[in-house]
This record gives sequence, C-alpha cells and structure tokens, in this order.
Amino acid sequence: MGDIGAQLLAGFATAGTPINLLWAFFGCALGTAIGVLPGIGPAVTVAMLLPITTQVEPTASMIFFAGIYYGAMYGGSTTSILLNTPGETGTMVTALEGFKMAKNGRAGAALATSAIGSFVAGTIATVLVTLFAPVVAEFAVKLGPPEYFMLMLLAFTTVSAVLGQSTLRGMTALFVGLAIGLIGLDQITGQVRYTGGVPEFMDGIEVVLVAVGLFAVGETLYNALYEGRSVATLNRAGKVHMTAAEWRRSWPAWLRGTFIGFPFGTVPAGGSEIPTFPSYAAERKLSKHPEEFGTIGAIEGVAGPEAANNAAVTATLVPLLTLGIPTSVTAAILLNAFQNYGIQAGPQLFQTSSALVWALIASLYIGNVMLLILNLPLVGMWVKLLKIPRPQLYAGILIFATVGVYGMRQSSFDLFLMFGIGLVGVVMRRFDFPTAPVIVGMILGPLAEAQMRNALSIGEGHWSVFVERPMSAALLAVVVAVLVLPRLARLFGSKKT
Amino acid sequence: MTHPPRGNPRHAAIGAATLLIGLLIAWGAVAIPSTAGYAGVGPNFLPWLVAVVLMLCGALLIWQALRGGFRLLETPSGAERGDWPALAWVGAGVLANAALITTIGFVFSCSLCFVLAVRGLRASEGKSAGGVVRMLADAGTGLAIAAPVYWMFTKVLAINLPGLTGSGWL
Repeated sequence: MGDIGAQLLAGFATAGTPINLLWAFFGCALGTAIGVLPGIGPAVTVAMLLPITTQVEPTASMIFFAGIYYGAMYGGSTTSILLNTPGETGTMVTALEGFKMAKNGRAGAALATSAIGSFVAGTIATVLVTLFAPVVAEFAVKLGPPEYFMLMLLAFTTVSAVLGQSTLRGMTALFVGLAIGLIGLDQITGQVRYTGGVPEFMDGIEVVLVAVGLFAVGETLYNALYEGRSVATLNRAGKVHMTAAEWRRSWPAWLRGTFIGFPFGTVPAGGSEIPTFPSYAAERKLSKHPEEFGTIGAIEGVAGPEAANNAAVTATLVPLLTLGIPTSVTAAILLNAFQNYGIQAGPQLFQTSSALVWALIASLYIGNVMLLILNLPLVGMWVKLLKIPRPQLYAGILIFATVGVYGMRQSSFDLFLMFGIGLVGVVMRRFDFPTAPVIVGMILGPLAEAQMRNALSIGEGHWSVFVERPMSAALLAVVVAVLVLPRLARLFGSKKT
Repeated sequence: MTHPPRGNPRHAAIGAATLLIGLLIAWGAVAIPSTAGYAGVGPNFLPWLVAVVLMLCGALLIWQALRGGFRLLETPSGAERGDWPALAWVGAGVLANAALITTIGFVFSCSLCFVLAVRGLRASEGKSAGGVVRMLADAGTGLAIAAPVYWMFTKVLAINLPGLTGSGWL
C-alpha cells in the first residue's frame, strides 16, 4: 500500500491539467450556485447534465460532477443562514442556529464558520478517502455475489425504512423505483421486459427523465400550486469574518462534525442531512454557551453540522468507488454516469480505471480549496442569486430540465413523460412519500437482481447460500436489525409515555 | 361518544393507484418466461416480487386511508388549497414545449415555456400577470436564457438539440 502516495501524485498530475482544472472550477462554481438556489439540488443538476457523458471524456466529467456534489453543500449553508429556507436538505440544521445568528447581526461569522468548517471537514474527509478507499477496494475484491446482494439489500432497507416517517410509504416508493428499473433488457438472459414493443424502452427508462421529472419539474409545479404565498425574508450578509473567540469555539465543533459525518456517508443510511442531527445535538450538549442555542444563535450549532454534511458527502465516494454502491441520491446518479461510460464502479475500478479514480480523489483536494475561495471572499456574489424573483427562477429551471431530458435521447415523447412524472412528484411531496427510494431503486434494482441470481447460481438454486457464507449472514443480520430495532425502540418509547 | 374515523378519499385513490401498478406489473410478468437455469429463479422472479409487494403496499395504503388516512403523516409545506389555475399555466408551458420543440426549435419553444410558466408562477403569488409589455419582457428573458444554453450545448458540447434552422444558432 506504499504506492498510495505515488498514485495520488499521478492523480494530481491528471487533475492539474488546465482543462481538468477548468472542469473542477466549473463544477465547484455551479455546485455553489445551485446550492444557494432553493428548489434545485446537486442530484437533479448532475442528472440534467448527464447528456454530456456522450461527449466529454470520463475523467473530466466525473471531476465536474463531483465538484457539483460537494460544492452544493458549501452553497446550501449560505441560503440556510440568510434566508432561513435551506438551500439543500443537508443544510436544514444549519438554519436553526445560523438564521438566529444572522438575525442578530452575526451573519458574517456564521457564513465564515460554515465555509471554513466545510473546507476543514472536506479536506480531512478526502484524506480519509485517500487512505481507506484502496484498502476497502482490496477487501471488496474478495466479496462474492451473495455479499454484494446483501449490501444492496441493506441500501434498499435503509433508504426506504429509515428515512421518512412511514416504512409503508418508503417501501411503496422503493418498489415503484424497482418497477421502473425492470423496463428493458434483463441483465443475465437478455430477456426483454415491459417494453410494450416500444424500441426506445429496450435500454430502459433514463435516470435523467425520472430524476428531473420528480425533482425539477415536480418542485416547480408544487411551487405554483402551493407555495405562492409563502414569504421569506433575506438577512444581510455583512462582513464575513470571525473573531478569535469565535475561532476557538468553532474548531472543536468542526472536528467533531467531521468525525460524526464521515461514517454516515460510508454506510447506506441515506442523505447528507442524517449526520447533521447528531452533530447538532452533540454541540448543544457540549457547548459552554448553552443559553445561546435557539436564542441569539450559537456558532457551534452552525460549525458542527456544516462540517458533518461535507464530511458525509465526501465519504459517500468510498462505497461508490470501492463497492459500486450508492449511499445517496446524487451518488446513485454518479453511478449512472459511470454506467453510461461502460465503467463498472466497484473494487475492480481501482485496477481498471485507477488513473480516473486517483484524478477524481486529487480533484477533491483542489476543489475544496477553490470552494473556500468561492465561498469566503466571494460570498457576496452568490448572495445576489437569492434576489432572482421566484417565478423567473423556477421557469428557468424548466429550460434546463428540457436540455437534460431532450438532450439524452432526442425524443419529445420524453418531455411529455417528464410532465407526467412531475405530477407524480407533486403527489408524492404532498402526501409525504419519500422520493429518494425511487431513484435508488431504479438504478440499483437491476444490479441487485443480477447479483441475486448469480448468488443463487453459485448456491445451485438454494437460498441458503445467503446464510451459509459468514459475511453474507452477518450483513443479513444487519438488514434485519435495521428493520426491527427502530420498531422495538418505538414500542418501548410509547410504553413509557 | 366517539365517531368512527372517517376515510380519506385522496389517500384511498393513491392506494388504488399503487394497487393498479402492481396489477399491471403482474399482468406483464405472465408473459415473461422463467428460463431459470442453475439459479432456480429466472427473469420473471423480480417482476413477480415487485408486483406482489406493490399490490400489498396498495392494499395497506387503502386500508390506512379507510381508517382515517395515512399514518405518521407530516404536514406538507405551503398553502392548504392548491392554486390550480397557476398549475395549469405552468403545465401548459411544459406541454407546449414538448409539442413544439421539434417544429419551432429549442430556443423559441423553451422561451414560450418560460413565458407561460412565469405567468403561472406570478399568478400564484397573487400578483397581476401583467399586459403585453410584461409578456414581451418575459419573452426577452426567456430568449436570453434559452439561446446561450442552446449554443453552449450544441456548439461547445456537441449535444443534439433541435433548431428551427439547420445552422445550429437558432
């Protein structure tokens, strides 16, 4: 493993070429912009830009997409602090203390601690990815189809049963996603399924179409239908800087946030918002100024969660690159980008496409520096984006949605379908159905099916293959625990009250 | 005296839709052969599983709907009543775009979509939609977004988007 240094250096050489630096910069800038803008997130942005995978070479586009992904976490906090509407779900908790601080004229300190905290967490998390990803990949080569199937089952379980309020609605969303994933050719036998004789369906339904329909179009329609009278007030950004006392209070929170956030990103436990809750709770408990929480705004309450969401986002690259398993919606769409190139994300990636992987990891270091500059001295530029009137913003999103959906397959039928999926998105949002399981189900479903059938072939048709192998049995136990433990906790919780 | 919980027709409709999707998947699964091979399960296994689970989810959703509505429901954000005319304007924009994009080209089709969508969204805020001048200004904004996007994707990234002319500029 002594060659990690050499490979990383080679990665820097690839990522440092002017053209790749430019892609990284575009990614970071675009990520910050869509992070700042409410109503549009990294998942749908990457989805809309998937058509470029037909033209741009893989290393450049993965650097670009990754920049959008973690750039959005930097930008999202700006909106949470100034507007009290989270720019991204991962920055929801930031709004709690950040908005209070801004109300009391300390927006500058809140913006500074979130930008620097994001940088610290992003960089530490990148170091951890550099060190751990090759080790995990080496270990993952030994995993067989039964273990992979169990890992994917775990991803399905957490994304549908743990996220959101109701397991029933989560399961419904997941299986709708799996149903969409069924359309097209069966991976193992080449059997045609659910195409209805339409040749366009042979390749399956495009992820762009579903993601853009559910998120971008659904969000726009929902806004027109229900959010017209919702008003938000914009706080002034002021001067972005921190006093010595604020530095002293921030840095332990950054470190704690990083180490809370990173593990959450590596396990299939859902989005970047999950670790921000325990981080916020920890800061509130440990703070020497508990009276500031919820009143005038405590800086630790911004610093911790901001570090946590950035560490989690970077950490999602570990399972994505080493196992080919996405632990967030954006990661699922990145997996789809790999598929468009015919690149198999998984343990072999470190051997077959090691140049790409290391260039991507090196670009994370570079991108975090770019983002620190974009979000600290230049924050005023992004705040101006919040002045775009709502009607023009959402109508503009529709133009970009058209580019993504039409550009992928040049079919105007897809645009009608996009509207239909948008309406489904409105219903799902209104009646509290989670949307993430749909995307994860449709992307991971076909892969999981192939692993399951390969596993059963190994076991000569016996389902016991999943419990006879120790790793697979252990993972199955985890899946069961994820399903059962929260229920038991709820049962005991309700008995007490 | 307590009343029996009232059913929620909207929730029931969603449950019924889920049930229907399950039935459709099952109907399609009948036609898929089960060339199982060594695995013991073939290409029709997952379709049947998905069909059965979706029908089960649909049935449970209907059951919940008839007993007072979905459990553990979070209050949705925004207004209580939908602004349907606003939705119709935005929807008209998206559908017009889908219908016209191949004939009048990406730039004009998207600008039209923009104008209609802005009108709907502005109406949803309770503001007047504005007269001809406002509409021309919106059309200008729409063009100013759509045209550079079109050039960037067709000229720089070489992605095929339909134009009114074959020049790649409009």
